Amino acid sequence: MADTRFDTDSVEYVDYKDVELLKRYLNEQGKILPRRITNVPAKFQRQLTRAVKRARHMALLPFVSDNIR
Amino acid sequence: MAKQTYELTYIINAVINDDQIRGLVNRVHKFIDENGGDILEVDEWGSRRLSFPINKKRNGHYVNLYFEAEGDLIVRLERALTLEDDILRYLTLKLDAKMLRAWEESKKEGKRRLEAERLEVERLEEERLKRARKAEEEVEDDEDDEDEDLED
Repeated sequence: MADTRFDTDSVEYVDYKDVELLKRYLNEQGKILPRRITNVPAKFQRQLTRAVKRARHMALLPFVSDNIR
Repeated sequence: MAKQTYELTYIINAVINDDQIRGLVNRVHKFIDENGGDILEVDEWGSRRLSFPINKKRNGHYVNLYFEAEGDLIVRLERALTLEDDILRYLTLKLDAKMLRAWEESKKEGKRRLEAERLEVERLEEERLKRARKAEEEVEDDEDDEDEDLED
């Protein structure tokens, strides 16, 4: 987990179009993982959530699924 | 009102034929241009698989574009998009300072990668030419040997 940490400190804007990045923070059902699992900074988590919900609206990510991994 | 930068992504019904898709895309561009907007960049992703069916359809034609406009254009634009039956979803975002910076960065990244690819292609071309030249030389050497045999 520690090596993905530096990633989140330097990312300024979480783009909803960056599906690859977003997918890393979802579980197999497509649900957003909580901070106590991912250990990301709070700010990042907020941006992430916003981006995921936008991506779901644009059908880039599913709302529910059992096969996303 | 000052001019703001916006990002619009919309999904077109993929089942209609290409001319209709092109026509629709052009109409959207025209709408923005005619109503005081300047289109900065267009990125058409083409047909993509949707994560869930929309209106029973599984694929959609994605278009992503950036433009500058006065704020009052947005409401009219979104209304026009809603009225269009073949536009399934749209998302309009205003680019704030952070997003603008991120977008500039990604443009630079894109340019850098294109440059790198171009140089790669040039290098490979040179290699191929060198190899072709070498092959020719070898053929010439063989021809010299042949002549020797004939002399006997």
